[in-house]
Amino acid sequence: MWHTIITSLPAMISAMLQFTIPLAIISFIFGLILAVLTALIKFIKPSENKVIKYPWLVLRAIADFYVWLFRSTPLLVQLFIIFFGLPSAGIQLSPFIAAVIGFSLNTGAYASETIRSALMSVPQDQWDAAFTLNFTTKQTLMKIVLPQAVRIALPPLSNSFIGLVKDTSLASSITILEMFQVSQQMTAKNFQPLLMYSLAAFLYAIVCSLLTLLQHYLERRTSKYVKGSEA
Amino acid sequence: MISLKNVVKKYEGKEVLKNLSVDFPDGKTTVILGPSGSGKSTLLRSLDLLVRPESGTISFSDISLDYAEPITKKKSFDIRKKTSMVFQNWNLFPNLTVLQNITTAPETVLKTPKKETEEHARQLLSQVGLGEYADRYPSQLSGGQQQRISICRALAMRPDYILLDEPTSALDPELETQVLLILEELSKMDQSMIIVTHNMQFARSVADKIVFVEDGNILFDGAPDEFFNHPTTRIKDFLSGITFDDSQLKK
Repeated sequence: MWHTIITSLPAMISAMLQFTIPLAIISFIFGLILAVLTALIKFIKPSENKVIKYPWLVLRAIADFYVWLFRSTPLLVQLFIIFFGLPSAGIQLSPFIAAVIGFSLNTGAYASETIRSALMSVPQDQWDAAFTLNFTTKQTLMKIVLPQAVRIALPPLSNSFIGLVKDTSLASSITILEMFQVSQQMTAKNFQPLLMYSLAAFLYAIVCSLLTLLQHYLERRTSKYVKGSEA
Repeated sequence: MISLKNVVKKYEGKEVLKNLSVDFPDGKTTVILGPSGSGKSTLLRSLDLLVRPESGTISFSDISLDYAEPITKKKSFDIRKKTSMVFQNWNLFPNLTVLQNITTAPETVLKTPKKETEEHARQLLSQVGLGEYADRYPSQLSGGQQQRISICRALAMRPDYILLDEPTSALDPELETQVLLILEELSKMDQSMIIVTHNMQFARSVADKIVFVEDGNILFDGAPDEFFNHPTTRIKDFLSGITFDDSQLKK
Protein backbone atom coordinates (compact mmCIF):
# COMPACT_ATOMS: atom_id res chain seq x y z
CA MET A 1 0.00 0.00 0.00
CA TRP A 2 2.75 2.43 0.92
CA HIS A 3 4.43 1.74 -2.36
CA THR A 4 1.27 2.71 -4.25
CA ILE A 5 0.90 5.88 -2.22
CA ILE A 6 4.50 6.90 -2.72
CA THR A 7 4.41 6.31 -6.46
CA SER A 8 1.17 8.23 -7.02
CA LEU A 9 1.69 11.05 -4.56
CA PRO A 10 4.18 13.13 -6.63
CA ALA A 11 1.85 13.32 -9.64
CA MET A 12 -1.07 14.31 -7.44
CA ILE A 13 0.87 16.94 -5.52
CA SER A 14 2.21 18.31 -8.77
CA ALA A 15 -1.35 18.54 -10.17
CA MET A 16 -2.40 20.26 -6.98
CA LEU A 17 0.36 22.84 -7.20
CA GLN A 18 -0.03 23.34 -10.91
CA PHE A 19 -3.82 23.51 -11.19
CA THR A 20 -5.88 23.08 -8.03
CA ILE A 21 -4.22 25.80 -5.97
CA PRO A 22 -3.60 28.36 -8.76
CA LEU A 23 -7.15 27.89 -10.05
CA ALA A 24 -8.56 28.45 -6.58
CA ILE A 25 -6.40 31.45 -5.74
CA ILE A 26 -6.72 33.26 -9.07
CA SER A 27 -10.46 32.63 -9.27
CA PHE A 28 -10.97 33.74 -5.70
CA ILE A 29 -9.12 37.01 -6.25
CA PHE A 30 -11.13 37.82 -9.39
CA GLY A 31 -14.29 36.60 -7.71
CA LEU A 32 -13.67 38.83 -4.72
CA ILE A 33 -13.08 41.92 -6.85
CA LEU A 34 -16.27 41.17 -8.76
CA ALA A 35 -18.10 40.54 -5.48
CA VAL A 36 -17.05 43.85 -3.92
CA LEU A 37 -18.09 45.79 -7.03
CA THR A 38 -21.40 43.96 -7.30
CA ALA A 39 -22.12 44.38 -3.59
CA LEU A 40 -21.36 48.12 -3.69
CA ILE A 41 -23.53 48.63 -6.76
CA LYS A 42 -26.42 46.92 -5.01
CA PHE A 43 -25.72 48.54 -1.63
CA ILE A 44 -25.20 52.22 -2.44
CA LYS A 45 -28.40 54.13 -3.04
CA PRO A 46 -28.52 55.95 -6.37
CA SER A 47 -27.79 59.64 -5.99
CA GLU A 48 -30.46 62.28 -6.60
CA ASN A 49 -28.30 63.67 -9.38
CA LYS A 50 -30.00 62.49 -12.59
CA VAL A 51 -26.71 62.22 -14.51
CA ILE A 52 -25.57 59.51 -12.11
CA LYS A 53 -28.94 58.09 -11.12
CA TYR A 54 -29.99 56.36 -14.36
CA PRO A 55 -26.64 54.80 -15.29
CA TRP A 56 -26.49 53.57 -11.68
CA LEU A 57 -29.92 51.97 -11.95
CA VAL A 58 -28.77 50.22 -15.14
CA LEU A 59 -25.65 48.94 -13.36
CA ARG A 60 -27.87 47.73 -10.55
CA ALA A 61 -30.08 45.80 -12.95
CA ILE A 62 -26.98 44.19 -14.45
CA ALA A 63 -25.69 43.28 -10.98
CA ASP A 64 -29.04 41.76 -10.02
CA PHE A 65 -29.17 39.75 -13.23
CA TYR A 66 -25.61 38.50 -12.78
CA VAL A 67 -26.17 37.31 -9.22
CA TRP A 68 -29.48 35.70 -10.17
CA LEU A 69 -27.96 33.91 -13.18
CA PHE A 70 -24.97 32.41 -11.41
CA ARG A 71 -26.82 31.42 -8.28
CA SER A 72 -29.63 29.80 -10.24
CA THR A 73 -27.57 27.46 -12.40
CA PRO A 74 -25.17 24.65 -11.45
CA LEU A 75 -21.46 25.42 -11.53
CA LEU A 76 -20.82 22.34 -13.68
CA VAL A 77 -23.32 23.57 -16.27
CA GLN A 78 -21.70 27.01 -16.22
CA LEU A 79 -18.28 25.47 -16.88
CA PHE A 80 -19.68 23.38 -19.74
CA ILE A 81 -21.32 26.40 -21.36
CA ILE A 82 -18.13 28.47 -21.11
CA PHE A 83 -15.78 25.76 -22.35
CA PHE A 84 -17.83 23.56 -24.67
CA GLY A 85 -20.65 25.97 -25.54
CA LEU A 86 -18.95 29.27 -26.30
CA PRO A 87 -16.82 27.93 -29.18
CA SER A 88 -20.05 27.55 -31.21
CA ALA A 89 -20.51 31.27 -30.67
CA GLY A 90 -16.99 31.84 -31.91
CA ILE A 91 -15.36 32.22 -28.50
CA GLN A 92 -12.60 29.68 -28.02
CA LEU A 93 -10.99 29.58 -24.58
CA SER A 94 -8.19 27.48 -23.17
CA PRO A 95 -9.41 25.09 -20.47
CA PHE A 96 -7.59 27.01 -17.76
CA ILE A 97 -9.00 30.40 -18.79
CA ALA A 98 -12.47 28.90 -19.12
CA ALA A 99 -12.18 27.43 -15.63
CA VAL A 100 -10.95 30.72 -14.13
CA ILE A 101 -13.83 32.61 -15.75
CA GLY A 102 -16.40 30.07 -14.56
CA PHE A 103 -15.09 29.84 -11.00
CA SER A 104 -14.61 33.61 -10.68
CA LEU A 105 -18.11 34.44 -11.89
CA ASN A 106 -19.65 31.78 -9.68
CA THR A 107 -17.70 32.76 -6.56
CA GLY A 108 -18.31 36.45 -7.26
CA ALA A 109 -22.07 35.97 -7.31
CA TYR A 110 -22.19 34.19 -3.95
CA ALA A 111 -19.53 36.35 -2.28
CA SER A 112 -21.26 39.56 -3.39
CA GLU A 113 -24.23 38.64 -1.21
CA THR A 114 -21.89 37.90 1.69
CA ILE A 115 -20.27 41.31 1.32
CA ARG A 116 -23.60 43.05 0.88
CA SER A 117 -24.90 41.52 4.10
CA ALA A 118 -21.70 42.55 5.91
CA LEU A 119 -22.16 46.12 4.66
CA MET A 120 -25.77 46.10 5.82
CA SER A 121 -24.72 44.88 9.26
CA VAL A 122 -22.85 48.12 9.99
CA PRO A 123 -25.48 50.27 11.74
CA GLN A 124 -26.92 53.42 10.18
CA ASP A 125 -25.59 55.21 13.29
CA GLN A 126 -22.08 54.85 11.93
CA TRP A 127 -23.11 56.56 8.69
CA ASP A 128 -24.83 59.36 10.63
CA ALA A 129 -21.72 59.91 12.73
CA ALA A 130 -19.54 60.02 9.62
CA PHE A 131 -21.89 62.38 7.79
CA THR A 132 -22.06 64.83 10.69
CA LEU A 133 -18.25 64.97 10.50
CA ASN A 134 -18.62 65.73 6.80
CA PHE A 135 -17.20 62.50 5.43
CA THR A 136 -18.31 61.72 1.88
CA THR A 137 -19.94 58.37 1.13
CA LYS A 138 -16.65 57.09 -0.29
CA GLN A 139 -14.63 58.21 2.73
CA THR A 140 -17.20 56.67 5.08
CA LEU A 141 -16.98 53.38 3.20
CA MET A 142 -13.19 53.32 3.14
CA LYS A 143 -12.45 54.48 6.68
CA ILE A 144 -15.42 53.31 8.69
CA VAL A 145 -17.79 50.85 7.06
CA LEU A 146 -15.57 48.51 5.03
CA PRO A 147 -13.09 47.86 7.88
CA GLN A 148 -16.03 46.82 10.06
CA ALA A 149 -17.69 44.85 7.26
CA VAL A 150 -14.51 42.90 6.49
CA ARG A 151 -14.53 41.47 9.98
CA ILE A 152 -18.13 40.31 9.61
CA ALA A 153 -17.56 38.93 6.10
CA LEU A 154 -14.44 36.91 6.91
CA PRO A 155 -16.02 33.66 8.14
CA PRO A 156 -18.54 33.34 5.28
CA LEU A 157 -15.93 34.41 2.71
CA SER A 158 -13.66 31.69 4.06
CA ASN A 159 -16.53 29.29 3.41
CA SER A 160 -16.58 30.44 -0.19
CA PHE A 161 -12.84 30.07 -0.58
CA ILE A 162 -12.77 26.60 0.95
CA GLY A 163 -15.76 25.65 -1.19
CA LEU A 164 -13.93 26.89 -4.25
CA VAL A 165 -10.83 24.81 -3.52
CA LYS A 166 -12.98 21.69 -3.54
CA ASP A 167 -15.05 22.81 -6.52
CA THR A 168 -11.89 23.01 -8.64
CA SER A 169 -12.30 19.23 -8.92
CA LEU A 170 -15.07 20.04 -11.40
CA ALA A 171 -12.40 21.46 -13.70
CA SER A 172 -11.53 17.83 -14.51
CA SER A 173 -14.69 17.76 -16.57
CA ILE A 174 -13.36 20.45 -18.88
CA THR A 175 -10.13 18.57 -19.55
CA ILE A 176 -7.95 20.13 -16.86
CA LEU A 177 -5.50 17.71 -15.30
CA GLU A 178 -6.11 18.89 -11.77
CA MET A 179 -5.61 16.75 -8.72
CA PHE A 180 -8.85 14.78 -8.84
CA GLN A 181 -8.41 14.01 -12.52
CA VAL A 182 -4.91 12.71 -11.77
CA SER A 183 -6.25 10.51 -8.99
CA GLN A 184 -8.71 9.01 -11.51
CA GLN A 185 -5.87 8.33 -13.93
CA MET A 186 -3.86 6.65 -11.17
CA THR A 187 -6.85 4.49 -10.29
CA ALA A 188 -7.09 3.36 -13.89
CA LYS A 189 -3.51 2.13 -13.63
CA ASN A 190 -3.38 0.56 -10.18
CA PHE A 191 -7.07 -0.39 -9.65
CA GLN A 192 -7.08 1.01 -6.12
CA PRO A 193 -10.01 3.47 -6.14
CA LEU A 194 -10.42 3.54 -2.35
CA LEU A 195 -6.80 4.39 -1.79
CA MET A 196 -6.47 6.90 -4.63
CA TYR A 197 -9.66 8.83 -3.93
CA SER A 198 -8.92 8.84 -0.19
CA LEU A 199 -5.51 10.23 -0.98
CA ALA A 200 -7.10 12.99 -3.07
CA ALA A 201 -9.55 13.73 -0.26
CA PHE A 202 -6.67 13.89 2.19
CA LEU A 203 -4.78 16.39 0.04
CA TYR A 204 -7.89 18.59 -0.32
CA ALA A 205 -8.30 18.46 3.45
CA ILE A 206 -4.72 19.64 3.98
CA VAL A 207 -5.18 22.67 1.74
CA CYS A 208 -8.51 23.51 3.38
CA SER A 209 -7.04 23.14 6.86
CA LEU A 210 -4.32 25.63 5.97
CA LEU A 211 -7.02 28.01 4.78
CA THR A 212 -8.86 27.56 8.05
CA LEU A 213 -5.70 28.57 9.90
CA LEU A 214 -5.40 31.62 7.64
CA GLN A 215 -9.02 32.46 8.44
CA HIS A 216 -8.35 32.32 12.19
CA TYR A 217 -5.29 34.52 11.78
CA LEU A 218 -7.19 37.13 9.76
CA GLU A 219 -10.09 37.02 12.20
CA ARG A 220 -7.77 37.81 15.07
CA ARG A 221 -6.16 40.64 13.15
CA THR A 222 -9.44 42.26 12.16
CA SER A 223 -11.05 41.83 15.59
CA LYS A 224 -8.47 43.72 17.62
CA TYR A 225 -11.01 46.37 18.51
CA VAL A 226 -13.74 44.02 19.66
CA LYS A 227 -14.26 43.62 23.37
CA GLY A 228 -12.69 40.50 24.77
CA SER A 229 -10.92 39.63 21.53
CA GLU A 230 -7.47 39.88 23.09
CA ALA A 231 -8.37 37.17 25.58
CA MET B 1 -27.17 82.60 14.56
CA ILE B 2 -28.98 79.69 12.95
CA SER B 3 -32.47 80.53 11.71
CA LEU B 4 -34.96 77.91 10.70
CA LYS B 5 -38.00 79.20 8.85
CA ASN B 6 -41.24 77.39 8.02
CA VAL B 7 -39.73 73.94 8.29
CA VAL B 8 -42.01 71.04 7.42
CA LYS B 9 -40.90 67.44 7.78
CA LYS B 10 -43.12 64.46 7.05
CA TYR B 11 -42.57 60.79 7.73
CA GLU B 12 -44.84 58.63 5.60
CA GLY B 13 -47.31 61.46 5.14
CA LYS B 14 -47.45 62.36 8.82
CA GLU B 15 -46.12 65.83 9.68
CA VAL B 16 -43.55 65.70 12.47
CA LEU B 17 -42.39 69.29 12.10
CA LYS B 18 -45.32 71.56 11.36
CA ASN B 19 -44.19 74.75 9.69
CA LEU B 20 -41.79 75.49 12.48
CA SER B 21 -39.57 78.59 12.77
CA VAL B 22 -36.92 79.14 15.41
CA ASP B 23 -33.57 80.87 15.97
CA PHE B 24 -30.51 79.50 17.73
CA PRO B 25 -28.22 82.30 18.95
CA ASP B 26 -24.42 82.32 18.71
CA GLY B 27 -22.28 81.69 21.75
CA LYS B 28 -25.27 80.51 23.75
CA THR B 29 -26.68 77.23 24.94
CA THR B 30 -30.15 76.49 23.64
CA VAL B 31 -31.97 73.60 25.25
CA ILE B 32 -34.75 71.85 23.35
CA LEU B 33 -37.31 70.18 25.59
CA GLY B 34 -40.47 68.26 24.92
CA PRO B 35 -42.15 64.88 25.28
CA SER B 36 -40.97 61.81 23.36
CA GLY B 37 -41.95 61.80 19.72
CA SER B 38 -42.52 65.55 19.69
CA GLY B 39 -40.02 66.14 16.88
CA LYS B 40 -37.05 67.38 18.97
CA SER B 41 -34.52 65.02 17.44
CA THR B 42 -35.87 65.56 13.95
CA LEU B 43 -35.50 69.30 14.47
CA LEU B 44 -31.90 68.89 15.63
CA ARG B 45 -31.05 66.51 12.80
CA SER B 46 -32.46 68.91 10.23
CA LEU B 47 -29.74 71.39 11.22
CA ASP B 48 -27.08 68.91 10.15
CA LEU B 49 -28.93 67.53 7.11
CA LEU B 50 -29.11 64.08 8.67
CA VAL B 51 -32.80 64.62 8.14
CA ARG B 52 -34.01 66.38 5.04
CA PRO B 53 -37.22 68.37 5.62
CA GLU B 54 -39.66 68.69 2.71
CA SER B 55 -39.67 72.48 2.84
CA GLY B 56 -38.40 75.48 4.75
CA THR B 57 -35.07 77.25 4.96
CA ILE B 58 -32.06 77.20 7.20
CA SER B 59 -29.73 80.19 7.33
CA PHE B 60 -26.45 80.95 8.99
CA SER B 61 -24.82 84.39 8.92
CA ASP B 62 -23.10 83.68 5.59
CA ILE B 63 -24.97 80.79 4.01
CA SER B 64 -28.51 79.60 3.63
CA LEU B 65 -30.30 76.68 2.12
CA ASP B 66 -33.79 75.89 0.92
CA TYR B 67 -34.64 72.33 1.96
CA ALA B 68 -37.03 71.96 -0.98
CA GLU B 69 -34.36 72.73 -3.60
CA PRO B 70 -31.81 70.13 -4.74
CA ILE B 71 -28.78 70.30 -2.45
CA THR B 72 -25.35 70.25 -4.07
CA LYS B 73 -22.46 68.42 -2.43
CA LYS B 74 -20.69 71.73 -1.92
CA LYS B 75 -23.71 73.25 -0.17
CA SER B 76 -24.21 70.25 2.05
CA PHE B 77 -20.51 70.30 2.94
CA ASP B 78 -20.61 73.99 3.85
CA ILE B 79 -23.73 73.60 5.99
CA ARG B 80 -22.45 70.50 7.76
CA LYS B 81 -19.17 72.24 8.45
CA LYS B 82 -21.05 74.66 10.70
CA THR B 83 -22.30 71.98 13.05
CA SER B 84 -21.27 68.68 14.61
CA MET B 85 -23.57 66.23 16.28
CA VAL B 86 -23.13 64.29 19.50
CA PHE B 87 -25.45 61.27 19.54
CA GLN B 88 -27.44 59.57 22.25
CA ASN B 89 -25.43 56.37 21.83
CA TRP B 90 -22.25 58.29 20.99
CA ASN B 91 -21.71 56.28 17.77
CA LEU B 92 -17.94 56.17 18.06
CA PHE B 93 -16.18 54.27 15.29
CA PRO B 94 -15.35 50.90 16.92
CA ASN B 95 -12.60 50.05 14.43
CA LEU B 96 -10.58 53.16 15.29
CA THR B 97 -8.66 53.97 18.46
CA VAL B 98 -9.83 56.81 20.66
CA LEU B 99 -7.24 59.12 19.12
CA GLN B 100 -8.14 58.08 15.55
CA ASN B 101 -11.82 58.62 16.32
CA ILE B 102 -10.96 62.25 16.96
CA THR B 103 -8.29 62.83 14.30
CA THR B 104 -9.67 60.95 11.28
CA ALA B 105 -12.30 63.52 10.35
CA PRO B 106 -10.07 66.64 10.50
CA GLU B 107 -7.38 64.70 8.63
CA THR B 108 -9.65 63.28 5.95
CA VAL B 109 -12.17 66.06 5.58
CA LEU B 110 -10.30 69.24 6.46
CA LYS B 111 -6.89 67.93 5.30
CA THR B 112 -5.31 69.18 8.52
CA PRO B 113 -1.78 67.79 8.97
CA LYS B 114 -1.62 64.70 11.17
CA LYS B 115 0.70 66.30 13.69
CA GLU B 116 -1.70 69.15 14.27
CA THR B 117 -4.81 66.95 14.57
CA GLU B 118 -3.07 64.67 17.06
CA GLU B 119 -1.94 67.55 19.17
CA HIS B 120 -5.45 69.00 19.19
CA ALA B 121 -6.96 65.58 19.97
CA ARG B 122 -4.63 65.00 22.92
CA GLN B 123 -5.40 68.43 24.24
CA LEU B 124 -9.16 67.78 23.98
CA LEU B 125 -8.78 64.37 25.61
CA SER B 126 -6.93 65.81 28.57
CA GLN B 127 -9.59 68.50 28.90
CA VAL B 128 -12.20 65.78 29.38
CA GLY B 129 -9.91 63.84 31.71
CA LEU B 130 -9.16 60.98 29.31
CA GLY B 131 -5.60 61.85 28.30
CA GLU B 132 -4.26 58.38 28.99
CA TYR B 133 -6.89 56.57 26.90
CA ALA B 134 -5.73 57.79 23.48
CA ASP B 135 -4.61 54.39 22.25
CA ARG B 136 -7.50 52.31 23.56
CA TYR B 137 -10.44 51.18 21.49
CA PRO B 138 -13.94 52.49 22.32
CA SER B 139 -15.15 49.02 23.37
CA GLN B 140 -12.65 49.10 26.24
CA LEU B 141 -14.25 52.21 27.76
CA SER B 142 -17.43 52.96 29.71
CA GLY B 143 -20.40 54.70 28.16
CA GLY B 144 -19.61 57.94 29.95
CA GLN B 145 -16.03 57.88 28.73
CA GLN B 146 -17.17 57.11 25.20
CA GLN B 147 -19.61 60.01 25.26
CA ARG B 148 -16.87 62.36 26.45
CA ILE B 149 -14.73 61.17 23.54
CA SER B 150 -17.54 61.75 21.09
CA ILE B 151 -17.74 65.33 22.38
CA CYS B 152 -14.00 65.66 21.63
CA ARG B 153 -14.63 64.19 18.19
CA ALA B 154 -17.26 66.84 17.49
CA LEU B 155 -15.05 69.65 18.84
CA ALA B 156 -12.07 68.51 16.76
CA MET B 157 -13.88 69.67 13.63
CA ARG B 158 -14.04 73.17 15.15
CA PRO B 159 -17.71 73.62 14.24
CA ASP B 160 -19.58 76.80 15.12
CA TYR B 161 -22.31 74.78 16.81
CA ILE B 162 -22.29 71.52 18.73
CA LEU B 163 -25.60 69.67 18.47
CA LEU B 164 -26.32 67.19 21.25
CA ASP B 165 -29.13 64.68 20.84
CA GLU B 166 -30.03 63.42 24.34
CA PRO B 167 -26.33 63.01 25.15
CA THR B 168 -26.89 61.44 28.58
CA SER B 169 -30.08 59.41 28.13
CA ALA B 170 -28.17 56.15 27.77
CA LEU B 171 -25.98 56.70 30.84
CA ASP B 172 -26.45 55.87 34.51
CA PRO B 173 -26.55 58.89 36.86
CA GLU B 174 -22.89 58.76 37.85
CA LEU B 175 -21.62 58.62 34.27
CA GLU B 176 -24.20 61.20 33.31
CA THR B 177 -22.70 63.67 35.77
CA GLN B 178 -19.23 63.31 34.19
CA VAL B 179 -20.66 64.23 30.81
CA LEU B 180 -22.84 67.05 32.12
CA LEU B 181 -19.91 68.71 33.87
CA ILE B 182 -18.06 68.90 30.56
CA LEU B 183 -21.06 70.34 28.79
CA GLU B 184 -21.49 72.88 31.55
CA GLU B 185 -17.87 73.92 31.12
CA LEU B 186 -18.31 74.28 27.35
CA SER B 187 -21.39 76.35 27.95
CA LYS B 188 -19.42 78.66 30.26
CA MET B 189 -16.77 79.01 27.55
CA ASP B 190 -19.53 80.37 25.26
CA GLN B 191 -19.38 77.42 22.88
CA SER B 192 -22.61 77.60 20.83
CA MET B 193 -24.62 74.52 21.71
CA ILE B 194 -28.05 73.14 20.99
CA ILE B 195 -29.01 70.35 23.36
CA VAL B 196 -31.97 68.02 23.37
CA THR B 197 -32.32 66.64 26.87
CA HIS B 198 -34.74 65.23 29.39
CA ASN B 199 -32.65 66.33 32.35
CA MET B 200 -34.51 69.38 33.71
CA GLN B 201 -31.99 70.20 36.40
CA PHE B 202 -29.27 70.35 33.77
CA ALA B 203 -31.47 72.34 31.37
CA ARG B 204 -32.11 74.82 34.11
CA SER B 205 -28.46 75.27 34.94
CA VAL B 206 -26.98 75.60 31.43
CA ALA B 207 -29.73 76.98 29.22
CA ASP B 208 -29.57 80.54 27.91
CA LYS B 209 -32.69 79.78 25.93
CA ILE B 210 -35.40 77.14 26.07
CA VAL B 211 -37.34 75.81 23.12
CA PHE B 212 -40.29 73.60 24.04
CA VAL B 213 -41.52 71.38 21.23
CA GLU B 214 -44.69 69.36 21.23
CA ASP B 215 -46.36 67.55 18.37
CA GLY B 216 -44.17 69.28 15.80
CA ASN B 217 -44.96 72.78 17.03
CA ILE B 218 -42.98 75.17 19.17
CA LEU B 219 -45.00 75.95 22.28
CA PHE B 220 -42.36 78.01 24.03
CA ASP B 221 -39.32 79.91 22.83
CA GLY B 222 -37.73 82.14 25.44
CA ALA B 223 -35.74 82.56 28.63
CA PRO B 224 -35.29 79.66 31.09
CA ASP B 225 -36.47 81.80 33.97
CA GLU B 226 -39.85 82.32 32.38
CA PHE B 227 -40.09 78.66 31.35
CA PHE B 228 -39.37 77.24 34.77
CA ASN B 229 -40.75 79.97 37.04
CA HIS B 230 -43.78 81.19 35.13
CA PRO B 231 -44.87 78.17 33.12
CA THR B 232 -48.08 77.95 31.13
CA THR B 233 -50.52 75.21 32.10
CA ARG B 234 -49.18 72.78 29.48
CA ILE B 235 -45.58 73.37 30.51
CA LYS B 236 -46.52 72.99 34.18
CA ASP B 237 -48.11 69.60 33.31
CA PHE B 238 -45.00 68.58 31.37
CA LEU B 239 -42.66 69.59 34.18
CA SER B 240 -44.70 67.86 36.87
CA GLY B 241 -45.21 64.82 34.64
CA ILE B 242 -41.48 64.16 34.45
CA THR B 243 -40.70 64.86 38.09
CA PHE B 244 -41.18 62.01 40.50
CA ASP B 245 -43.56 62.99 43.21
CA ASP B 246 -45.22 60.63 45.73
CA SER B 247 -48.39 62.63 45.81
CA GLN B 248 -49.08 61.26 42.30
CA LEU B 249 -48.74 57.70 43.57
CA LYS B 250 -51.43 58.20 46.19
CA LYS B 251 -53.98 59.25 43.59
